[in-house]
Amino acid sequence: MHGTLELIHPTEQWDCTPINFPVTHHGSERQFAGAELSDFMEHVARQLSDNSENTADGFSMESLSNEAFTPSTGEYRPRKLARTYHHTSGSDGCGHAEDLQWINGTQSENVSTMTYKNNRSNDHDQQGLSLITLLMECAVAISVDNLEEANKMLLELTQVASPYSPSCAERVVAYFSKAMARRVMSSCLGGTMLSPLVQSKSILSAFQAFNTISPFIKFAHFTANQAILEAFHQRDRVHIIDLDIMQGLQWPALFHILATRPDGPPHLRMTAMGTSYEALEETGRQLSGFARRLGLSFEFHPVARKPGEVDPAMIQTRRGETVAVHWLQHSLYDAIGADWKTMRLLELIAPRVITLVEQEMPHSGPFLDRFIGSLHYYSTIFDSLGATLGCEDVNRHKVEHWLLSREISNMLAVGGPTRSGDERFGSWRTELMRRGFAQVPMSGNSMTQAQLILNMFPPTHGYTIQQGDGTLRLGWKENGLYTASAWTSPRLLR
Amino acid sequence: MQNSSYHQTTASSSTSTDPSASEKWAEKLLRECAKAISEKDSSKIHHFLWMLNELSSPYGDTDQKLASYFLQALFCKATESGDRSYNTLISVAEKIHSFDTARKVILKFQEVSPWTTFGHVASNAVILEALEGEAKLHIIDMSNTYCTQWPTLLEALATRNDETPHLRLSVVVTAAAGGSVMKEIGQRMEKFARLMGVPFEFQAVNCGFSRLGELKREDFALREDEAVAVNCVGALRSVGIKDRNGFLRVIHGLRPKVVTVVEEEADFTSNKDVYIMCFEECLRFYGTFFEMLEESFVATSNERLMLERECSRSILSVLACEGDGGSGECERREKGNQWCARLRSGDDHFMPLNFSDDAVDDVRALLKRYQAGWSLVTSQGDDAFGLYLAWKDEPVVWASAWKPSS
Repeated sequence: MHGTLELIHPTEQWDCTPINFPVTHHGSERQFAGAELSDFMEHVARQLSDNSENTADGFSMESLSNEAFTPSTGEYRPRKLARTYHHTSGSDGCGHAEDLQWINGTQSENVSTMTYKNNRSNDHDQQGLSLITLLMECAVAISVDNLEEANKMLLELTQVASPYSPSCAERVVAYFSKAMARRVMSSCLGGTMLSPLVQSKSILSAFQAFNTISPFIKFAHFTANQAILEAFHQRDRVHIIDLDIMQGLQWPALFHILATRPDGPPHLRMTAMGTSYEALEETGRQLSGFARRLGLSFEFHPVARKPGEVDPAMIQTRRGETVAVHWLQHSLYDAIGADWKTMRLLELIAPRVITLVEQEMPHSGPFLDRFIGSLHYYSTIFDSLGATLGCEDVNRHKVEHWLLSREISNMLAVGGPTRSGDERFGSWRTELMRRGFAQVPMSGNSMTQAQLILNMFPPTHGYTIQQGDGTLRLGWKENGLYTASAWTSPRLLR
Repeated sequence: MQNSSYHQTTASSSTSTDPSASEKWAEKLLRECAKAISEKDSSKIHHFLWMLNELSSPYGDTDQKLASYFLQALFCKATESGDRSYNTLISVAEKIHSFDTARKVILKFQEVSPWTTFGHVASNAVILEALEGEAKLHIIDMSNTYCTQWPTLLEALATRNDETPHLRLSVVVTAAAGGSVMKEIGQRMEKFARLMGVPFEFQAVNCGFSRLGELKREDFALREDEAVAVNCVGALRSVGIKDRNGFLRVIHGLRPKVVTVVEEEADFTSNKDVYIMCFEECLRFYGTFFEMLEESFVATSNERLMLERECSRSILSVLACEGDGGSGECERREKGNQWCARLRSGDDHFMPLNFSDDAVDDVRALLKRYQAGWSLVTSQGDDAFGLYLAWKDEPVVWASAWKPSS
């Protein structure tokens, strides 16, 4: 699987000159930093509660009257307000609400900016869009704890939206409503602090499918590997700490290139962290076998703990070895534990490079922020899948149901994806910078890696790479989804 | 909320215990939950509902689906919100069900599974035999299969007889379909009959959703010279339990030449006052049904999804609603031998008709067209009459034929 993709040997000394980039979220104009998103949602909520008249000042969420949520017995046309969407659709008619423009009953001046690439009135698209309306109203109801109203809307949504629909919007609604129904029930049951159950086997299988049908995982792996390779330039004793190794799909490609280095292979140690000891052992067996076949001197240390829960003494670094720490952020389960403790661990380890791949959506914050952010995020991913795979494709269903739907459930759950109520960083990049880590810009070689990966996944015109602020961001059309960055410990700077 | 010991184990072994990794985990959890509900053990109820909530999904494998739909029913039962929820679900279903979607679903279902066509073939064979030689036929159709039964019969009428008889079809729709569906069905049937060259008349019998028990002789506008057949496919169960015998008397009063009864083989009636028993039967029946659906359809089938959602409403009504099976609130199924007892009791009773060898051959030929797993079981014993369709040796659908005592 990795045969056609080769990492690029760095020819020059690894440049770790600290560059202080201001960390901004560029690319899409939609920002999900706390204050702005809340303003946006307040605006949305205001629109929803207006009955073609402006409410008075002093608007607050709590004052949403029941009128705005007249229990519908199945009307799927947008109610009361004329809502139009900035809408682009893929070749098979899949719709995607890219930018939600709420208009209070009148035509917007921005009519010209709304391009409906697919003008035929596609029943599925119409249905998808009106379902999104209902979904958003339901989210607002949940955010103000109006669970009874939310439940009623969910009874409708979960009876209508199909996850097998040709309309991507409808598929998204199906999974979002399921996630919200789960949340509402869990709120009613009050057992939010119990540790969530993780279904490892199905997740891993779906993760592999995702790796096959979509470039995002490979992008994360290969750009990170390139940065690690560069950090390991001319180092003989190297140590990789993978904070959430899963099956270790990332590493064989790196092993291969390390084993065939012009200046000879290093001795490689790997500390692998994960949720289950059995899974770690299996991963260790696979990787050790692979290393042995390559003639790579290899040690594997499984640590069945989260980075935020582990006793730092369990992570041993040896004098003279070069350490790389890697983390691919996801929302399948809480892989990290307490963020601030993990940061502490990173400071203690003081690695030469930290390779980080983050999902571009808020993992913390109030429910509505997470709702809007993840709706945007997953709509984008669903669109990207729908552009190449038919609506009956079994792998697509596998990924959507076992992977993305799980993430959506966690994102919308009480307490967010960690389900633990711990404080989460808004952005790891910001936090790393704040703690004095210096950003190492992603090199031209990493960019090349990213391009090569995209060439493997048609339609290449759909996936986009943005380079800026020292990061590489892979997304679909104008929406960034995963951002890869690299950092070095302040203690190592000369 | 207190941590039960089960949760302690899960938490401390850092999620290495995956409850959904074991076989048929859903049935086990659901059973525990139902037990807790019948024992009114609040903390256990919370615990199991929570676990089911974590693991269930209406779009996953069979276990996850069962968990999801039964969870909804059990939750409504525990929170006494069953009737409210059911009403919402029904009104949603009525709004979104168009003739096109309903037809698409049932045609696809009939393509991949003999669940409904079994009853059709058996009933048609008996009806044709009973009405042999008659010039004016009147079939009163009370079924939930949107008249998909009749094209084959019309074809038989057109080809078998020297003199094609005149057929009048009175249809009572028992599903949550509505008037517009009936109109479409009528037009289609008329068109088809014209093509077949069968003199044909269509009549829709106005009947609210599952107000079957209120129908009277006058509603059918019977005529003097016609031979009547009454066809009940999945209909009797939507009559309120208390009204069932009375309804059969009304049918008797129509003086039909033959009555065909097709029902699903499940009993949600005799045990309705013992929650855990009713639950077990519900789980058994729908467990089989969902498994059958999974093996018959492709994984991403919208038609199967709609059938599953229909089941979820039935499950909710049986396990969480207070109705006794009348006015559409409940489809309390009864098994073949139970219907037999009803049909054979009272002054206005019925006598069973045997299925001829030809009829049985027709059914066997039908089953050959489908994937392996299906079989025909003829009933054994003195109390049971009719034919059973079996899925993996478990009887699932019962077909029978009757004539009124004179």
